[in-house]
Formats: sequence, structure tokens, C-alpha cells
Amino acid sequence: MRLTALFALALTLGGCAGDARRAAPEAVTLNFWNGFTGPDGATMEKIVRAFNKSHPDIRVKMQIIPWGTYYDKVTLGLAFGGAPDVLILHSNRFPEFANYSSLGRLDDLVKRPGFDESDFAEGPWAAGVWKGTRYAIPLDCHPIGLYYNTRLFRQAGIVDAAGNAKPPETLDEFLSAARKLTVDANGDGKPEQWGFAYTWLRTNAFTFLHQFGADILTPDFRRSGLDAPDAARALGLMQDLCYKEKVCPKPEGADAWMGFQTGKVAMALEGVYMLTSLEEQEDLEFAGAPCPLFGRRRAVWASTHLLAMPAAVDARKREAAWTFMRYLSDHSLDWARGGQVPVRQSILNSPGFKKLQVQYEFSKELPYIAYEPPTVSYNQVVPFYDAAIEASLNRIKPTDEALSEAARRINEVLERE
Amino acid sequence: MKRNQGLSAALFLLPYATLFAVFVLAPAVYGFWVSLHKWHILSPSAPFVGFGNYRQVLQDDLFRIAFLRTAYFVLMVVPIGNALSLLLAVGLAQDYKGTTLYKVAFYLPVVTSVAVVALLWRWLLSAEFGLINYYIGKGAEMVNSLGPRVISAHAASLPWLNSPALAMPAIAMLSIWWGAGGNMLIYLAGLKAVPRELLEAASIDGATPWQRFWRVTWPLLRPTVLFCLVMSVIASSQVFGQTFILTGGGPYYSTLTVVLYMYQQGFGLYQLGYACAVAYVLFVAVLAFTLLQFRLLAVRQ
Repeated sequence: MRLTALFALALTLGGCAGDARRAAPEAVTLNFWNGFTGPDGATMEKIVRAFNKSHPDIRVKMQIIPWGTYYDKVTLGLAFGGAPDVLILHSNRFPEFANYSSLGRLDDLVKRPGFDESDFAEGPWAAGVWKGTRYAIPLDCHPIGLYYNTRLFRQAGIVDAAGNAKPPETLDEFLSAARKLTVDANGDGKPEQWGFAYTWLRTNAFTFLHQFGADILTPDFRRSGLDAPDAARALGLMQDLCYKEKVCPKPEGADAWMGFQTGKVAMALEGVYMLTSLEEQEDLEFAGAPCPLFGRRRAVWASTHLLAMPAAVDARKREAAWTFMRYLSDHSLDWARGGQVPVRQSILNSPGFKKLQVQYEFSKELPYIAYEPPTVSYNQVVPFYDAAIEASLNRIKPTDEALSEAARRINEVLERE
Repeated sequence: MKRNQGLSAALFLLPYATLFAVFVLAPAVYGFWVSLHKWHILSPSAPFVGFGNYRQVLQDDLFRIAFLRTAYFVLMVVPIGNALSLLLAVGLAQDYKGTTLYKVAFYLPVVTSVAVVALLWRWLLSAEFGLINYYIGKGAEMVNSLGPRVISAHAASLPWLNSPALAMPAIAMLSIWWGAGGNMLIYLAGLKAVPRELLEAASIDGATPWQRFWRVTWPLLRPTVLFCLVMSVIASSQVFGQTFILTGGGPYYSTLTVVLYMYQQGFGLYQLGYACAVAYVLFVAVLAFTLLQFRLLAVRQ
């Protein structure tokens, strides 16, 4: 540890030796952890490099750790030492870390003059608060939304007056489009092209549940809301798409996202962060639109990358970390290009952002995004929800049974808290 | 002289005893201590809860499911696996040419890491592209071509790992393949230890090969069988890698095993005290079953 610090210092000194302005012998080194292993990592690296260039007194060293093991490393780092100075946390994992007072309080920092909290979108801004204390600020928001294959839409004649592909906005429009887009040319009962497919059951089902007025937990986060009749109704519609309407393959074993990438699936509800994996795909014509209204109210699954620092950082590092966090937030238009929705009104309203078709369309969902319930037990609760959804949609268990079993187990976890 | 021998023995034991104490005994004792606390890894305090975690484990219906699924796995793997190992050993105990090649071939899976084995079998078991379903399809075609279509076309697309009924048998199948070579070697050693004179005498007395095996070899093999059964039960009741990699415990908890559940609690949710309690309940269950096996199978003096 000490060696790496020395090494970093040596590098810093070396880098500044030819710099006539000032040597920076006291440059603060910040370790910054995130899990951006995809193209988003390259974007973030570019931003970090620009920051290092414009801030000779701070040296940010970024470490990318795959999300699969990221939270293990963060947890162990915070518990036993070795944690970074600035880190990314997903909004659904944030309460766990905030609750055990592992994170530093930011209340005084966001109150400083020159920092305009009213520029932040309301929902994402609130996501950085736990039990009345602010521990994080939002970098972005990543809701899911409707991706649709514009070429397949045009071929099926689902177009507006100008002849452009027209994405569905209501359940009826969605069903009629999906029926037209499901093609079984050889009549073997296995369509070669599907109108729609579930890519990730967790986010898709969460969206349906919310649109029907249900949630994993009740609004007071004390009990599970999965045994409410609305939850069964939402899953009923999801099942109908597979088994009654037959416009969507059975979730199990189907590589739905690859299907959309290769033009075998015409519509999918996926995160804005999946954008780059579509842009890389040659001869795929696609566009994004806000999620259709399936239930009785608008809602869509979303998560946010929060910027936080551990509780144990000294005053100098804290200042440097805050400078870096603000810089990232100020430059979130660059970040948005890699497939994110920024959460600053000034950036959302900028002409540069409106040019990003998918991001801009998905940003229209900001007023009704739904986060997974903020609970310390998120990690314990969500596997029960996942299992119930999977069992219901693959018809391993009747929906009512699967949901009430999950609700019972979730309630047991919550009672133990 | 005597004292010197004792000293030598102690010195010879020391390296192993040290490693055992540091890496097995101490963590086990510490694990028991942890199991008496409610401890989330990030929590600054870990209150002592006595046997509260154990009470919770015994009331936890997912633990019960995991326990029963593990027992189901053990019941498939131990008898079938040992029968197969013994069969292979009996076959390879003859002095034919090329037996070494077969011994190596059967033993190779044992030294292969569970991750490699699991990924290999994921392909074999794949519902759409898997080799197993391919052969089932070919077999079905052959049978059906003989007369009326007796085997449905669905037989060739069995969803091995996606079906709650088939997933555990599929995992048992690959575990048997993975482990058969290990016990085979031990059975081979046991068979070599059977005195030739006894078998020859039996032959001279007119015993058939069948009789020679059951009347001469089998009784002398009993300690080996006991050893293999005990070790298989201990190993297979701790099944983890296969289910962790292939199914994650699904579909709908049908392949949730006790050690996987312990892992999920400990390293997924960081409920360390609870995970340790799960481990100790498993330890007690396996210990009890092992003692029972000794009781039932040990050679009576």
C-alpha cells in the first residue's frame, strides 16, 4: 500500500517535473472504484484522464472491478480496510452501506455555495439520502425503456403518417404491434421472429408490478407487497404475452437480448445502458421510446449510479474527493453518451443531450421512474422476488402460490431486522 | 530409546499438526464462536445471541428444502457412484493389456476442477444443442423406426437444467462421472489386497466367478467399502461447485444444497453468524450419519 502510494507520488513528481507552473509534490491520490467493464469504462476513463489533466493537485486512480465481484470487494474493503476514496454504488445497494455508517456524510458539502441541488432531478437526488442524512450524490439514472427494431416495424406497416416506425404507447397498441411482428412462416409452432421478449425478468416484472400498483414491499417497507392481488394481475398479463397471445417466448433458456440484437425479436424492455451493445451491431436499425402503459399508471424500473466516499477519509482527501465527484456530475453529458440518462436539468435541457435519441426518449420517463425498495435487506429480499417471478413465468409454480411463498419469506426476513 | 521415538514421532507430526491447527481446527472453533452471534460483516457490533441462529436455522423452510435436496443428491450419488466405481475396479483388476490407459482415463475427471467439469456438462446437458439430447433423439428415432412411434419427439429436448424434476438428477449424473475414478482406485487397492490363494482355493473347490466374488472378495472388501461409503457421504453432502455454477440453486430451489445455501447466506448476504450456524448443523448431521454407517457396516470382530 505504502509502496504504491510512493510509486504514484514518484509518477506525479515525474510528470510535473517539466511543468513550469508548479510542481505538485503534495498531489492527493484518490482511488476510485467502479464496475464499468464495458464501453462505459472507456468513457469513464476518458473523463478521469481529463480531470487529472485539469487538476494537477489531485491524482485519480481508477480501478474497474466486474460488477459480479464488485460489491464483495467493496464490502470487505469497508469492513476490514482497503476501501477506495470514491466509489460507485447502485441505488438499490446503497441503503445497506449507508445504514452501517460505512459511508461519509455529505450534508455540509451539498450546502456549500456554488453547488445547486435544485439542478438535480428529484427522484435520483433523493436516492442519495438514508434516514435523513445525505451519503451520496447521483451521477446518472438508468431506467429501462422500449427498444424497437425500426426496420421490422416498417416492414409490418406499423408506421406514422410520415412513414416512420411508430412505437406503441398503450397496451392495445403494444399487443397489436406484437401480434403483427410475431412471424411463424413455416407453421411449426415455433416463430422465427418474436414481437417481444423478456430480457431481464427482474426489471421487466418490476415495471409491470408498478404499473398495476404493486411492489416488492409495501410503501412503508415493513412487509412484502407481493401477495397483493395487483401483483398477481401484473404477472397474469406477463404470462398472457407468452402463453395466450404467444407474442413472446417462454423466458427460460431464451437468449432474448441476443434475439433483439440479431433482429429476431422486434421489441424489448431494456436498460439505457445496453445501448452500446446495439450500436456495435451492424445493420440493426433500432430506436428507443418510453415504456408503454401496460397497467393503470405509468411506471418504469430504474436504478442510479451514486457517488459516495467512505466514512474514514481525512479532510484533505475529502476535499479532493468532493472536487472529483462534482467534476463527474458536471461532465455527465459525456457520461450520458455511453448509454445513461443524466440527472442534471441543465444537461437534460441542453441541445447536445437532445441529439442522443435513445437517452433523450428514455429521459422522458424520469418523472415516473420507480426504484427498487430502499431497504437494508435488499440483498436478502430480492432473491425471493426473482425466484417467484421466474417460477411463475416459466409455469413451474402457480403464480398465486409463488407470490405468497415469496411474500412469506420476505416478511420473515423483515421481521428479523 | 523409547523417549527418543516419541520425540521423533512428534517432530514428524508437527508440520501436519500445525497446518491442521491453523487452517482447520482454529477456523472451525472460531466458526462456532461466530455462529453464536448476529453479525453482518459491515455492522460495527455483533451481538451475542446464543443459540438464536440455530433456532432460526431449524425453523427456516429454505434450510429444510436445502437439507432434503442435499439428502436426495447423496442418496443418488453414493449408492450409484460406489457401485459404478466397484464395477470399474473389478473390471480393471484383471491383468489385461491396456488397463493402465483405462485407469488414467477414468481417473482424469477426478483431477479436473469442478468449474471445468460443470461448464463441460452445461454443454452436454443443453436442451437444444446438447450431446445427450442428441443421442436421446437418435435413439428415439431408431426405436420409432422399428414400429409404432412409442417415444415422443419431446424426449429429444429434455430441459435438463431448467426443470425442477430433472435438474438434481442431472447434477447427480455429472457428479458420479466426476468422482467415479477416485473410489475406483481405492477399490482397486482393496481388490489387490485379497489373497490370491483364497480365490484359487475357491476355484479348485468349484466356485463360480459370481460365488468367488460374493463369498470371498466381498467379505474381505468390507473395510474398503465402508471407507469409500463414508468418504462419499461426507464429500457429496457438501456438494457446492456443481450447483453453484450450473443452476445457482434453481429452478425454484430444486437444486439448492446446504453448502450453497450457507455460501449464499455468508458471502452473498454477509450474514456470517447465520451461515456458520448452517455449517454446524450440517456438520452435526453428517457426523451422526457417519457414526450410523460405522455402526451398521463395520466388520464385527
